[in-house]
Amino acid sequence: MHDIGSLVDQLVESTKTSVGLFVPELVLSGTIVVLLLCRILPLVWRVPTQWIALLGAFTAFGWTLSQFDQLVTPSEALQVKTLFTGLLKFDEFSTFFRMFLSLFLILTITLTVLTGIPDREDAPDFYTLLIGATIGMMIMASANHLLMVFIGVEMTSVPSYAMVGFMKGRRQSSEAALKYVVYGAGAAGVMLYGISLLAGLTGTGSLPEMAERLSMIVAQGQGISDPTNRTIVLASLMVLVGLAFKLSVFPFHFWCPDAFEGAAAEVAGFLSVASKAGAFALLVRFGLAFSGQSKEVSSIAFALGIGLGVLGAATATFGNLSAYGQSNMKRLLAYSTIAHAGYMLMSVSALLVLRFSKQAGAEADVASLSCIEGLMYYLFVYLFMNLGAFAIVALIRNQIFSEELDDYNGLGTQCPVLCFGMTICVFSLIGLPPMGGFFAKFAIFYSVFKATSVHWVMWLVLAAGAINTVFSLFYYIRILKAMYVKPRPDGARKVTYDLMPVGLFVLMVCLPVLGLGLFPARFSETFHHVASLLLTGR
Amino acid sequence: MDSLGNTLANLLTIAWLLPLFGFVVQILFAHKWGRKSKAAAYLAIFCIGTGFVCSATAFYKWDKQAGHLVFKEAKPAATEVAEPKNDSKAEVTEEAHPKKHSGRQTVFSGTFYQLAQFGDLQLSLDYYIDSLTLAMFVMVTLIATCIHIFATGYMSEELVEDYVDHQVHSHDGGHFHRPGRFYRFFSYLSLFCFAMLGLVIAGNIFQVFVFWELVGICSYLLIGFYVERHSASTAANKAFIVNRVGDFGFIIGLMILWTSFGTFNFADQHVSDGGVKPGLFSMVTRDHHGEFPKSADGKEVVLTTQQDGHGAWQVPPETSPRKTIAYTLLIVAGLGVFGGCVGKSAQFPLQTWLPDAMEGPTPVSALVHSATMVAAGVYLAGRFYPMFVPEVLLVIAYVGCITAFVAATIAIVATDIKKVLAYSTISQLGYMMLGLGVGGWGAGLFHLITHAFFKSLMFLCSGSVIAGCHHEQEMPKMGGLLRKMPITALTMLVGVIAIAGLAIPGIYLKFWSFVPYLSVYEDHGYVLSFSGYHSKDAILATALAYTKLNPLHFLLFLIPLLTAGITSFYMFRLWFYTFLGKPRDQHLHEHVHESPWVMTAPLLVLSFFAAFCALGGEHHGSLFGVLHHSEPVHVHHGFEAANSVSLPSHQAIEDSHASAGQAALLAAFVGMALSYLIYGKGVVNPDEIQRQASGVHAFLANKWGFDDLYDVMFVKPAHVVAKFAAAIDKFVFDEILHTFVRMGIAVSKWDRKFDEGVIDGIVNLMGNSTHSLGISLRNVQTGKIRQYVTFIAVSVVTLFVLLFALYPKG
Repeated sequence: MHDIGSLVDQLVESTKTSVGLFVPELVLSGTIVVLLLCRILPLVWRVPTQWIALLGAFTAFGWTLSQFDQLVTPSEALQVKTLFTGLLKFDEFSTFFRMFLSLFLILTITLTVLTGIPDREDAPDFYTLLIGATIGMMIMASANHLLMVFIGVEMTSVPSYAMVGFMKGRRQSSEAALKYVVYGAGAAGVMLYGISLLAGLTGTGSLPEMAERLSMIVAQGQGISDPTNRTIVLASLMVLVGLAFKLSVFPFHFWCPDAFEGAAAEVAGFLSVASKAGAFALLVRFGLAFSGQSKEVSSIAFALGIGLGVLGAATATFGNLSAYGQSNMKRLLAYSTIAHAGYMLMSVSALLVLRFSKQAGAEADVASLSCIEGLMYYLFVYLFMNLGAFAIVALIRNQIFSEELDDYNGLGTQCPVLCFGMTICVFSLIGLPPMGGFFAKFAIFYSVFKATSVHWVMWLVLAAGAINTVFSLFYYIRILKAMYVKPRPDGARKVTYDLMPVGLFVLMVCLPVLGLGLFPARFSETFHHVASLLLTGR
Repeated sequence: MDSLGNTLANLLTIAWLLPLFGFVVQILFAHKWGRKSKAAAYLAIFCIGTGFVCSATAFYKWDKQAGHLVFKEAKPAATEVAEPKNDSKAEVTEEAHPKKHSGRQTVFSGTFYQLAQFGDLQLSLDYYIDSLTLAMFVMVTLIATCIHIFATGYMSEELVEDYVDHQVHSHDGGHFHRPGRFYRFFSYLSLFCFAMLGLVIAGNIFQVFVFWELVGICSYLLIGFYVERHSASTAANKAFIVNRVGDFGFIIGLMILWTSFGTFNFADQHVSDGGVKPGLFSMVTRDHHGEFPKSADGKEVVLTTQQDGHGAWQVPPETSPRKTIAYTLLIVAGLGVFGGCVGKSAQFPLQTWLPDAMEGPTPVSALVHSATMVAAGVYLAGRFYPMFVPEVLLVIAYVGCITAFVAATIAIVATDIKKVLAYSTISQLGYMMLGLGVGGWGAGLFHLITHAFFKSLMFLCSGSVIAGCHHEQEMPKMGGLLRKMPITALTMLVGVIAIAGLAIPGIYLKFWSFVPYLSVYEDHGYVLSFSGYHSKDAILATALAYTKLNPLHFLLFLIPLLTAGITSFYMFRLWFYTFLGKPRDQHLHEHVHESPWVMTAPLLVLSFFAAFCALGGEHHGSLFGVLHHSEPVHVHHGFEAANSVSLPSHQAIEDSHASAGQAALLAAFVGMALSYLIYGKGVVNPDEIQRQASGVHAFLANKWGFDDLYDVMFVKPAHVVAKFAAAIDKFVFDEILHTFVRMGIAVSKWDRKFDEGVIDGIVNLMGNSTHSLGISLRNVQTGKIRQYVTFIAVSVVTLFVLLFALYPKG
């Protein structure tokens, strides 16, 4: 029995420690407040708002980095714990993603400074939206409660809608934003329905508790013919639909090409990487929430895992094949984004299949470790290669005022640094050694291969992944062909750019792609460590 | 000692990587400097020259530590200086030990960079530095520097925007025009130097293999430098393909080694947990009698993988796990690796590529195809010596012996000045292999170094002659060039005397004691002779000692002895033919001129080394002393075996020295005298002899028919198989592939239509209606967006139904 006094004490204590660990998000929130103040007060003409945003992003990154560092080194400095009475989870996995997202925020802001996409007047609004979305993604990555799942997803989505429609003058942009909003609202509705079903069934929103409750209410031995089981499956599926929308998984991807084509390339780059990272973190957490003693719950998660594998294969195939006919760079990269989401989904599928198979044992545990490790590696490489590709599209757009592939003809000689960066990114996206993309793809296929011993469908998934790698080669190579093989048409606009900040930025983003491919061991060790901590569920 | 090791490694690394730097800069930027710029050459010379300075410094430092074998100590103390060398000679009865000069480390090894690890197999960039490495570094960089400078003059014709290749005819009867390729030549040379030095410094056999292939590539590029000439491109292909045959054996050897030994490293490695992992050489320690530790049935060799208290490697006790390798496998591995050496060093039966390789520019022939790359095979055989068992050595000896003889006989009838030198190179390489094979480790490598100097000298001389004669290479058209090109002729004579092994017995030199900085020559007087005499003498002495032990293999001494005479004969023939007598082509003779100083200066430098680098010979000479430091331990005592071949000990070789030396000298003088009579004095008309023995002549001029034989045996069948395979490929596999591609295109077209027609259609319809109707937001909401959201619901339901239907039962 607790009396009110001790409950209040407990709450105060919990809030105190939670706020201490929540500082990065708070710093970003504070940055938003300062930015909005700039907007209201006439300070905007004096203070360059991008520096404020950059300062906030750097602080958040530094903070999360130090948190991550303290967590992975075996010491007693920081402990894994739940924040705000169990709403958020503070562990190595979430801290990695928070660090990842704030690093990405820094790079995106730097890119917008270089391309100057928000003009001076709109800059505070733009950075507010950007930072707001990032906070949402950080919450997604650390969500430990169904409520936070929904809040995270929505907090990411709403600023994203506005950012897609940020180029106010363009009809295409507004149209894309509208489609995105409508689709997002629909998906959110479905997800919310799933969440309420789950919460209603289990009587709790907390993810760790959910598994226990599920194993209590599940009708043993009845399979899916039992109404309760069926409802659980339906509810989980609906939650997954919300995430599938964020991940642009087939058949919930229709918004993606339009939104990306309508949005500025910088925004598209941000959305393609960051919201995927957050959503994948959330997907892994949600999937692992099914862990428990009950065989029936495991078999539900297992079935969902197989389903995700099939969806992943379908998504990769669809994305790659659709990219064939594209002539617009952003649209092409949008389809490529869809395809890559498919690859990454395969690793989550392999994780669920391995972890919830009937013959789970020590070997399956080791293999499921490699799934998470592969996913994290892929996301980390993906950050650089996809941002690099979109950034170069944005930088070239600033010069030739076009994003059509045909207008890229013969650029190889005119802007060697940009095209070199694009080459690295494209090779990595294809997955050629020694780029990071090769090892990332290899890690994912390896984990799927491990899962084939559990269920034969994974062979199909693996085969689809392998075939897709070949498919993707053709349209990626078209970019290189345009840049290097085709001649620059006479009278085409000359490309000039400052080598110093722009070239440096491009190299800064593209060389890690190469570095990740040359020294894979150093990173994968860290990821392995994080994955093992997540799975042992300390 | 560690600091010395680091210093050596750093210096040699600089020397190694500088040419790579030069190559990268040249290949990326040189075309911007213009076709007429010599900057690329200067950069290449700077890189390799600095490399030489670094190597020489490293050598000096090593020498200081090893007891001043070459350079004088700061305070002259002659008696002390000579001491360590005498020790090593005298301690015949003392127990051999890996570090002969206790406390003085002679091998420095370590790892630059670890590339990857597969299970136990580490792939890394290692270095292995001993006196052999250092001697090779100094030799390669010195010769390469001379040749780079020479090439600046020789290749200057390429310094034009429009180069006319007179040997390539276009369809309209004119000559082929192309831009000059001066900088490209030097970038290839730089790449070659990098690869060659990498091969020498390599600390594991896999790394050797990588650079082995890289020098092969460079050789390919340089032979085919005049790629438009059909003969050049064919020769490049031939060299490359024939080398692959040898490399096939090399790879087999590598696989056996890896399977049985589990490491590629030459030297022991200090692993992270403080222990020492034995290298290849440590695992095959022999006992005092030269026998391997064997298993009970005698068929398996037990590897020495455990260290005793003094750091010597021993067989682990019975109880602990042992690594073994079947004796036959050890033979196969040795033969496999030697197969690579056969290809690279143009040994019988893969010797046919080297004469054709003379299609490359002459500096290339001098650097790549006489002094360095082709010697890499001999170098590897020397480096890998501890792994060769006596049976393998016997094969090596016979291969070397046959090669030496066959090539020498062909050289007698060759008339192209470069071809004569090419066959002579093959023959001399055969000598080196023979030396190694009969147990003369030091002798073979000694000859490698001396040969590098005099043969590169002679090639450069021939280059000077060719340049002077406006690219005429046929000796019958020359003659009487001594007056016209005196420097070339005299330096060439130095080379000829050196290779022929002439000496004046009984005359001793004393004046070397006046040369500052060189200490070791103070006490002794020496036979008046040039470098080749000493090294050839060493090989023949070893061969004689070997045949005394194994009377069955008496040919291994007689044939080389005969070959020594032939060598002397054809080399003097070349010199007499070219430089003496009356000019046979008056028109040509009138236009001949001596080469400019950039070409003659390297000749003078090289002739100095060709003459004097081996001074002191095997007994007191510093070069041999230096090499001797790296000699594998077991060589010293030889090997006595009742039922297989024996190897002579140093003492036995020493005893045969006098008689072998006299025989060799006699053979050389006879050869020279015959040559003088026929070609110098004209006592007998050579054409007459040719007519008399036309059958033999045709046989020799046809190069013993090897090319024809290989054509029938391999090339033609390969063509038939290739045509068949091409047909299969074209009509079966391509068709299948095309079908797949067509299917893929069809699917994606359909997919595009679906995406554009159906999905985009729906979405665009909505977008267009938004725009055209504009005002009516209500219209959009009621009309299309409902449909749009419905699609989400439909997808969810579909997915659920699918999941429900396919849910795994049970």
